[in-house]
Amino acid sequence: MRIGIDVGGTHTDAVIMQGDNVLASTKALTSADVISGITNALDVILNDSGISQNEIETVMIGTTQFTNAIIERRELAQVAAVRIGLPSGNGMPPMLDWPQDLKDALDSEYYMLHGGYLYDGWSLADIDQQEISNMINSMLKSGVKNIAIASAFSPINSAPEEQVANEIRKAIPDAKITLSHSFGRLGLMERENAAILNTTLLPFADKVVSSFLGALKKRDLHCPVYISQNDGTLMSADFVRSYPALTFASGPTNSLRGAYKLTGLKDAIVVDIGGTTSDIGVLQNGFPRESNVIIKVGGVRTNFRMPDILAIGLGGGSIVSDDGTAIGPHSVGHKLVTEALVFGGNTLTTSDILVASGGANIGDKTKVAHISPQTIRQAKKTLHSMLDNNIDMMKPGGKSMPVILVGGGAILVTEGLEAASDIHRPEHAGVANAIGAAIAQIGGEAEQMVSYRTLPREEAIKQVTKDAMQRAIDAGAAADTLRTVDIEETPVPYMDESSTCIRVKVIGELAALPTNTSERIQESTL
Amino acid sequence: MKIEQKHLEDLALGSVFLATGGGGDPYVPRLIAEQAIKQFGAVEVIQPSELGDDAYVVAIGAVGAPTVSLELLPSVEDAANTLAAFEKHVGRTVDAVASFEIGGGNSLIPIVAAAGRGLAVIDGDGMGRALPEAQMMSYAIAGVKPTPSVAYDYAGNVATFSTNSTEVYERHIRSLAMAAGGMITAAEHPMTGRQLKDSIIPGTLSFSIKLGQTLRENRGLATEMLAPLQALFNDSIYGECRLIFTGKVIDKATRIVGGYDIGEATIESFDNNDLPLTVSIKNEYLLARKGEKVVATVPDLIVIVDYETSTPINAERLRYGQRVAVFAVGCPQFYRSEKALKAVSPRCFGFDLDYVALEDIK
Repeated sequence: MRIGIDVGGTHTDAVIMQGDNVLASTKALTSADVISGITNALDVILNDSGISQNEIETVMIGTTQFTNAIIERRELAQVAAVRIGLPSGNGMPPMLDWPQDLKDALDSEYYMLHGGYLYDGWSLADIDQQEISNMINSMLKSGVKNIAIASAFSPINSAPEEQVANEIRKAIPDAKITLSHSFGRLGLMERENAAILNTTLLPFADKVVSSFLGALKKRDLHCPVYISQNDGTLMSADFVRSYPALTFASGPTNSLRGAYKLTGLKDAIVVDIGGTTSDIGVLQNGFPRESNVIIKVGGVRTNFRMPDILAIGLGGGSIVSDDGTAIGPHSVGHKLVTEALVFGGNTLTTSDILVASGGANIGDKTKVAHISPQTIRQAKKTLHSMLDNNIDMMKPGGKSMPVILVGGGAILVTEGLEAASDIHRPEHAGVANAIGAAIAQIGGEAEQMVSYRTLPREEAIKQVTKDAMQRAIDAGAAADTLRTVDIEETPVPYMDESSTCIRVKVIGELAALPTNTSERIQESTL
Repeated sequence: MKIEQKHLEDLALGSVFLATGGGGDPYVPRLIAEQAIKQFGAVEVIQPSELGDDAYVVAIGAVGAPTVSLELLPSVEDAANTLAAFEKHVGRTVDAVASFEIGGGNSLIPIVAAAGRGLAVIDGDGMGRALPEAQMMSYAIAGVKPTPSVAYDYAGNVATFSTNSTEVYERHIRSLAMAAGGMITAAEHPMTGRQLKDSIIPGTLSFSIKLGQTLRENRGLATEMLAPLQALFNDSIYGECRLIFTGKVIDKATRIVGGYDIGEATIESFDNNDLPLTVSIKNEYLLARKGEKVVATVPDLIVIVDYETSTPINAERLRYGQRVAVFAVGCPQFYRSEKALKAVSPRCFGFDLDYVALEDIK
């Protein structure tokens, strides 16, 4: 038995699953303290299913708390970004191309230091102790505690990042520091951005993870707890305290995987309609189609591998123009229950249109009796054509595909969709995210420095892949479901001409969880 | 015309397509160009024909391994300082700047250099794409000497060159680029207006903006991008445009060797009922083969794009697992002459085959 929980901005959903069967599910409102929303949801599913706490082997949590924090510019801590790489990149400071409002929200400061390495292991510039002291003095003055450090070529040589971090720790013992090389791969700007976004979330991550664990403890759940990350694999909850940014795309990943689990459709378009946005993604062979291009989070370029998602401003709380010709992107969000007409508010929303057209019975329908049939017709037309047009943009090729509707706002779709060969509205569609979290997968990563002189490349990749698979199996993956999702080679010329660092990541389905999984998962994600 | 802020996004996008995998990611150069235009105003673009025969022009751009520019970021003043160092070295000022190659970041560096000085950039370039070596430039093929030239590194070190041949120049500047961390900015191939008119691949700067616009406005599946691309290329100095492959990258390996990114990528077709496509890389995508069969070869353009959005992908950003489409485009007529092929045929890159034009490959 497993519990899957999805903690979104508006709703907290929870399911109990036994294998592929959903035994109980619920949708509660996310509470301001996060805790009571989770405990309420747990109470419902434990009561409904009659399952006792000690039968639960694991709890998996998916959360959009961190993505939302970035997108909504809230809960963000003051950050200092430190770039080590002068004299290169002079005049190109960190966060140069960030949206101004996000920079303001981070109350950020940046420092550019001499140092770093070149690709061939030569020093790019000498570290300047005076520069570092000046920086630390300035940090002490501003009181900044959350620091991101990025150095040129740190995936090949991370020493400068470590060195500067140590100096900062000496002066600011309670500093929370993210080093960019933990976000892998070459591409300084994107790697640095990932590190800065991660850093600004650190205090919030502590709070959120403590709330998660606190809620479970309150309900006497003492089994291992995992949180799902971008690619749908699991991290131990404590790991998220240091790497909250790794959860960024877990929301869409979980809803896509949940949609697949609920319908068995391997190739389909999934539309997840929430309160503010509709996320359109594509299932390919049962997995989210990944984006190949640089992904922006909250307007910032990052190097995360994420599902290819088209988000449009259309949800249950989207504001509708008086004539019904325009919907969104503004939404009343979680204030739907006070601001929508049917709840006695003054804003015409998509939910009001749905009630007025007889498509649902929520709130007080007399409050929408005055809306003209023409407006209702027009608004429905607008809504369906918005979805049609955007589904068309995501469809691989001109052929029509099945569309799976999930999320609380799926009821807004009352007519057919031209872009869809057929429409599926699976049972439990409202909690697809929580189901996706509950069926999250196990990843295994291995890294090895090899010399192609002594070990031919193909052999070397095979070997590292085998190690990664072993790690995934140790962490609970079923061996026959493993597939390679990433192979990364970083030549390290200064060791010897043919030295290369190979990193391989594999992913597989959860088989059974050995008792020590928690430590194993911790290891495999580090 | 003038290059303004609003043109930069399309120019960068179009130039990545024409870069055939090389040329460096224009993202950072674009940020620098944005700053330069904000500070100094729009940059005048002139046609080669508008240049006096005795005008003095120099080509400016970056030389090195594109992978390096992912980490060793350029500085805002690199382009202007390179030009200043060149003028100091030759003891005279230039009247306009030209581009080495329209492919990638090198489409923007001349604009940045020109902005600070209020100079014009020429609508055209020395390759019509990106190519890895100096002697492959149309200027060099037409007989323009690469030196006197200067190279400027990330730390502000300046080297000057005076060489006996373009091949030797390429070796020298490449080894300097290696010694300077893999990437330098160079001002080279100084020439008169007359020499420029006789050697430049014309119109590529404005064409690249149009190409970027086409890619942006039709953003979507590569299979659906083919028609608008064909319409654009058929009516240009390039000609034929084909979609030669779609599939998933199953292997990609490049290393920095001798100042170039050298390696190979393998793409497996989506339905797996075709031989995989192997693409050989030396900074640029140079040769595409299905098994033994050559489907496109340098100097024709081989371009790898994201399958779903048709966004062109630089070789240094190509990764395992990406879903891609591969386009091939005929090269400008200039590169099909015997003289040009001596510098850019597949044999010049160590491949044991002669050039077969794209439209002759069935």
